[in-house]
Amino acid sequence: MPGIELKNVTKTFGSVTVIDNVSLSIRPREFMVFLGPSGCGKSTLLRMIAGLESVDAGEIWIGDRRVDQLAPGERRVAMVFQHYALYPHMTVRENMSFGLRNVKLPEAEIDKRVDAAAKMLEIAHLLERKPGQISGGQRQRVAIGRAIVKEPQLFLFDEPLSNLDAALRVRTRLEIAQLHQRVEAAMIFVTHDQVEAMTLAHRIVVMNNRKIEQIGTPMEIYSRPATTFVASFVGTPAMNFSPVELSDGPNGFVSARLPDGAIVATRIDKASLPESRSFKLGIRAESLDICPVGQGQTAGVAQFVERLGDRTLVYVRLSDGTTVVAEDAGNSRVAINDKVGVKFDGGGAHLFDDQERGHHAVLEGNST
Amino acid sequence: MSAAAGQLSDLGRARAQPARAGAQQSRWSHLLYVAPFLFLYVTLLVYPLFAGFWLSLHKADFFGGSRFVGFENFVRLSNDKVFIGAVGNTFYFILLTVPALAIIGLGLALALNRTTPTAAFLRGVFFSSSVLSVTIVTLLWKVVFAPDGGFLANLFEAFGKQPVAFLSNADLALPAIAITTIWWCIGLPMMLFLAALQQVPRELYEAAALDNAGRWKTLWSVTLPSIRRTFALVIIIEVVLQFQLFGQAYLMTQGGPNNASRPLVLFIFEVGFTRWDVGYAVAAGQILFGLIAIAAMAQYFVARRKEAF
Amino acid sequence: MTTQLSSGAVGRGLGDRVILAATIALAIVMVLPMLWAVGLSLKTNAELLVDTNSVLKAPWTLRNYYDILIGSGVFRWLLNSIIVSVGMSLGVLALSSLAGYGFARLEFPGRNVIFVLVLFGLAIPEQAVILVRHQLFSDLNLHNTYAGLMLPGMSAPFGVFLMTQYFKAIPTEVDEAAMLDNASRFKIFWRVLLPMTLPAQATLGIFTFLHAWNDYWWPLVSGTNEQMYTLTVGIASTQMNFAESAGLGYLMAQAVFAGLPILIVYMFFQKYIVRAVSGAAA
Repeated sequence: MPGIELKNVTKTFGSVTVIDNVSLSIRPREFMVFLGPSGCGKSTLLRMIAGLESVDAGEIWIGDRRVDQLAPGERRVAMVFQHYALYPHMTVRENMSFGLRNVKLPEAEIDKRVDAAAKMLEIAHLLERKPGQISGGQRQRVAIGRAIVKEPQLFLFDEPLSNLDAALRVRTRLEIAQLHQRVEAAMIFVTHDQVEAMTLAHRIVVMNNRKIEQIGTPMEIYSRPATTFVASFVGTPAMNFSPVELSDGPNGFVSARLPDGAIVATRIDKASLPESRSFKLGIRAESLDICPVGQGQTAGVAQFVERLGDRTLVYVRLSDGTTVVAEDAGNSRVAINDKVGVKFDGGGAHLFDDQERGHHAVLEGNST
Repeated sequence: MSAAAGQLSDLGRARAQPARAGAQQSRWSHLLYVAPFLFLYVTLLVYPLFAGFWLSLHKADFFGGSRFVGFENFVRLSNDKVFIGAVGNTFYFILLTVPALAIIGLGLALALNRTTPTAAFLRGVFFSSSVLSVTIVTLLWKVVFAPDGGFLANLFEAFGKQPVAFLSNADLALPAIAITTIWWCIGLPMMLFLAALQQVPRELYEAAALDNAGRWKTLWSVTLPSIRRTFALVIIIEVVLQFQLFGQAYLMTQGGPNNASRPLVLFIFEVGFTRWDVGYAVAAGQILFGLIAIAAMAQYFVARRKEAF
Repeated sequence: MTTQLSSGAVGRGLGDRVILAATIALAIVMVLPMLWAVGLSLKTNAELLVDTNSVLKAPWTLRNYYDILIGSGVFRWLLNSIIVSVGMSLGVLALSSLAGYGFARLEFPGRNVIFVLVLFGLAIPEQAVILVRHQLFSDLNLHNTYAGLMLPGMSAPFGVFLMTQYFKAIPTEVDEAAMLDNASRFKIFWRVLLPMTLPAQATLGIFTFLHAWNDYWWPLVSGTNEQMYTLTVGIASTQMNFAESAGLGYLMAQAVFAGLPILIVYMFFQKYIVRAVSGAAA
């Protein structure tokens, strides 16, 4: 069971660097998601692993084979493309067996693999049809089937769900998760959709601006974002940010003073903070509760109220003019223009230094 | 910020193409795909064009005799009444055919832009002449125009009139060729207009109907403005095509009577292939090339300007 | 309001009928020369010399067609036309597909410059190069050969332009999928992309075929041996001596005989031919 290793991988197009010295290791059978906004380089990185883009510097290893100079077909990887990239003039069966024919696998073995994959993906009845005669969701399955039959060491998915409608996307997401349970291979899945990333990944690689921002499990990414970018890109609604002044709080933790004067006692160890000219406080809506005026650390006026059913998001304008998103119960009675109190849960507060690096609450296990 | 990065990386990807991936292969070898065509292109089109430039500066015949004369051929052309007449005939012919082709083609397209079987059949009829070769077309029309037992002559006689010898009358020869040409070529403009009419969004007509626009109002303010670009394109395409008038004139009148129906291309043909004055003919060919190049450039710009028209 | 609408509807129906009648009248004008020729071809020369109006009444005869069948170069010319048109079409398809793939997908030194130079060729009219080309073919002894009749048509850049555009319109994802499927560069071209260009191949093939079939000037000056006449040139050669006339009916029978194959082809493939010709023009 091979793992995948990227060592100082760099790619430039002319004078433009699109992948800047990226190193990454993916464990055998791991489900890895590359997450980031469009243009961040995540697709390019995937295509470099596939062999569709050359590697200008650095190395790519799959198991004990260095593959960055090999042709795409020789890397024992399979890829599912965004627009499926099925061969329109071939039947589904021909689509799935084309790659196997090219490596001269015996016919019997090809048929066996194709039939098994078709059965697993429930497309056996479509085998003699052409891609133009089947639905979008079915085409997606064929594309996946074409990858499965190759029995690759690594599956690559390039935003494969972005062309499906919402319901089908959820279903296919589940199926890809199940597929991963069944096959003995690592998977890399590129997406800009954080829900896909959170639900599918063992670990997420968050990329921005040609670089890796953070590698971590979905919960690490969510609750301990390494940078302001990760903090703001992951999570809905986006994290609240506010410049703060720090002071000593209880137990060696720091307290943060917001521009409107409110003081938030964090659970961030003072000793762990670096020198920094300034700090920003970051806190998610779920750590900001609506309360009667006077009970929380601060108060403001409700600007918008978004009812999501299980909870209610309240956009509160504070006295200094900034707006924060706070959460209230699903049956909240807050209405626009109500005055409301806001209660900060200091345990959910993050601090970001002038290098944009995140600092988080001390984990429960090793708190003093 | 990220949008800018996205643009950059898209740009990069477009330049790299997937071919980059197998960049292990020698890039010179890719020329092999293009080479067979390039060989013919260079030997049979590019070389003759440039050799033509050179040849037009010579007094040359088909038997190898050749003498450098500078621009003498062009000077001769500018004083050659037959050549000037041929250029004039060509423009006159374009004036006779192109507007008629565009307007009749548009009219037919408007009338036949419907899904009934009758319309489909009629479209087929109007396009059918386009697949015939010029020799058959001229044969058909010679027996229409013939003064002695021709179709029109019989018709004239039936009405008690004198038959007219269209093709041997200096004033009527070129118009007769023009009618033949319009009959032959009407299919293409009609089909181009039909294709354009299909592209007009249905919502525009629905909006016009809701605005109580009548048939003519809709035609004038919705349909015609929507196909302006096609109209320009049809005009230019037809100008380029009709510039090259040759077979009809050669086969119906041999350029006569008294050079009245000799177009530029026929002039080139006769000077080059019957008078063997190759340098002179090539020089006339350069003039034709220049004229067509101008029209082709116009076509290129019209085709490029997607919205402006 | 209601009255206005309904009167409009009546007017519309009436207008439609007038337009239809006018169009049908024009269509009759359109087919009259063809019918006239067919009529003439069914009469004996003796009758036509007296009065061509005799086509309107019996007796009609197939005598002229019989004469063509037993003693005429028409079959030879028809065969030549088929060989030249099919050969040129296949040649253009092969060259244009290869070059189109090369320009659209492969990188090689000078690719963009070469492509632009090829595009310039679209503006070169045949008449501007035909004299030098004729000399060139004389030097190479290519006149009165099938190759000599076919090659010039294969040097036109239109097909390359069309195929390049078509290949470019195919998403590169498809190539990439094939690369990951271990297909060689040529296999990607031959097995994956080429079949996807079939609609363009049909357009280009039909367009080239019609062009070759109806081409007049080049076969006129290159295939000067009567055995190498194409149908177009052959038919023209007979009408040159229209005056002394091998017989008007015979001549018309020849025209009908020569025009019929292409009209029949047109009837069967009308949809594709129309699409090809108007697609090629626009």
